[in-house]
Amino acid sequence: MSDQPVRAEGLTKFFYDESRGEIRAVDGVDLGCSRGEILGLLGANGAGKTTTLRMLCTVLEPTAGQAWVMGHEVRAEPERVREKLGFYSASTALYPKITPRETLRFFARINRYPGARVEARVDDLIQRFGLADYADSRVEKLSTGMKQKVSIARTVVHDPPVLIFDEPTVGLDVLNAIELRDIIAGLRDHGKAILFSTHIMSEAEQLCDRIAIIHHGRILATGTLDELRDETGLHYLEQIFVHYAQTAPVAMADASRGGGRLAGGPE
Amino acid sequence: MGLRQIWIIYRHEVRCALRERSIVVASIVVPLVMYPLLLWAMLAGLSFVAGQAERLTSRVAIQGLPEAHGALADSLAAHDRIRLTDWAGDRESAHRAIAEGRLDVHVVFEPASVGAGGVVDNFRVTIWFSEARDRSYGARNRVESAMAWYREALIDDVRRELGVADPVWADFVVVRSDVATPVEISRSILALVVPLLTLIMVALASFYPAIDATAGERERSTWETLLTVSASRGQVATAKYLYVATFGALGGLLNLTALALSLGWISSMVGAPEAEELAGTGIPLAALPVIGLGIALLALFVAAGMLAFAVFARNFKEGQSMIMPFYVAVFLPALFLRSPDIEFTLALALVPVVNVAMLIREVIVGSVPVLQGGVTLLAMALSVAGAVYFAQWTISREEVLLGSGQGGLLRFLRGRYSMLRRQR
Repeated sequence: MSDQPVRAEGLTKFFYDESRGEIRAVDGVDLGCSRGEILGLLGANGAGKTTTLRMLCTVLEPTAGQAWVMGHEVRAEPERVREKLGFYSASTALYPKITPRETLRFFARINRYPGARVEARVDDLIQRFGLADYADSRVEKLSTGMKQKVSIARTVVHDPPVLIFDEPTVGLDVLNAIELRDIIAGLRDHGKAILFSTHIMSEAEQLCDRIAIIHHGRILATGTLDELRDETGLHYLEQIFVHYAQTAPVAMADASRGGGRLAGGPE
Repeated sequence: MGLRQIWIIYRHEVRCALRERSIVVASIVVPLVMYPLLLWAMLAGLSFVAGQAERLTSRVAIQGLPEAHGALADSLAAHDRIRLTDWAGDRESAHRAIAEGRLDVHVVFEPASVGAGGVVDNFRVTIWFSEARDRSYGARNRVESAMAWYREALIDDVRRELGVADPVWADFVVVRSDVATPVEISRSILALVVPLLTLIMVALASFYPAIDATAGERERSTWETLLTVSASRGQVATAKYLYVATFGALGGLLNLTALALSLGWISSMVGAPEAEELAGTGIPLAALPVIGLGIALLALFVAAGMLAFAVFARNFKEGQSMIMPFYVAVFLPALFLRSPDIEFTLALALVPVVNVAMLIREVIVGSVPVLQGGVTLLAMALSVAGAVYFAQWTISREEVLLGSGQGGLLRFLRGRYSMLRRQR
């Protein structure tokens, strides 16, 4: 068995829609992510990125295939899996009526961070993320940038070895997006295994150690940027992405018919 | 079971709810202030109306009064709140004037159909008035009292002329005697009101928390955040369920407390309350544990039902419309079954919610229906278990948690059915 903190084999997810029938959102995805590595999941809207990540963090149950987070299988031990990871996306909001300090306490305790060390950990994150002045104000009164910092702090408050960022920079301005990418790079340097999904090519180029190109629910290629360049003979990631998307088997597109976004369901 | 995880989420839910104005108002403030406000409004309204009516002078038109009974006209004229008006028009125009508020009553004297021994110019009288107008109604009462007084005096004169002895006359009276004590009367009134209001308050107090715990999460985009914590879906659903039930029970208990305090206040003005009753309400102290248990059972049942409906809503607005039918269904049967003449049978003890309302009614009037109480407890325990299981199952479904939630519970069940058929 691989010692990679995150591993997926043949991960598949079908949705059933009354009017459109069966929708293959993710179809046989294999991937792995090591410690101190950022694996970028690069794909267009509706490619299956969010569905894949939701299966890895056990929000969705795979229709077929298996995935492990720190050795725990997502279907067999979902709570242990969630204990070992932090999940952040544009759709994971904060509770507006409580303060950042209360938010961090809640997520530390519910994610089983040792009780005796919760306060010290919360204080440490408040200092590290520059939240000291707002730590006891309600979240609803914070600016978007501050909310984003609280959101990241709550993702890492229980010090999980695996972090999942699902299109985290969506809706952020340039400065906040850069700050967020710096934070994620810092977390990688602390040895975290990070899955990072995006449809922004430059973001993947700058941040990811390896890139997995996903299209119509299938992984078309995985490798470092240099490996992908060598394989395609193209320089820019955008060109590389288009190359893979255009040469993908036609059958794949057929198989994932109706693969558009299902409201609240698959990406 | 992971009680620690449930406790952490439960505390978190309660903390957030206590900072949500709509929840605090509906679940805590309304149950507490409703009775004092209602009583104040009722007393203020009644005394205002009584004062207004008392101050008004009644405009009375008399027609056809025999000359021999001029004393009657004198006594009416002497009344400081009656003004006699000459009415020259016909009967129809008088009735129109009453309807339009220009006149209050029209008193028409006619010769009596049978002659009476000692009475000269005996008459029968009709008082025309409008019950649709308070002033007219009050005027009728004033004229009627004056007539009754005159009639008594007239009959007294005739009796004396006929030589009927006083003792014979004095014994010919009708006496009304009520065997119910004031406490029993108070209990019977409370038995009509308390079960229904308890139901309404428990349902109202659960209403907003149920939406907040489900549709609220979706509207705030915190569902997914909560689903990625290290707690099972069952634990999340249980914590949310307990949170809603807590607020429902809190609303019910606060409502009962407010009732006791409000009625206790009135009772202290009238006289000292009895020691074995709740602060002068007439509710026996021994009934309190049963009422408390009833409130708890209601809260547990209502919370599960409301969660099962609200979980499909995408926002507060949808949540409100999805819960409303259940909300009405909870207290509507109790509205019809609160008559004291409807017996608390074993069959009724099997009907959830209605049985608790009936049980509360019975213990308030002081009866102890042990068998029906046992059946109620059993029926409610089974109903609560079923409702909780259904709510948990619904909330834990992937398509409900992350689905669009369109169509609500019925559409979800139809979708499940069609999926099962397809799989088969």
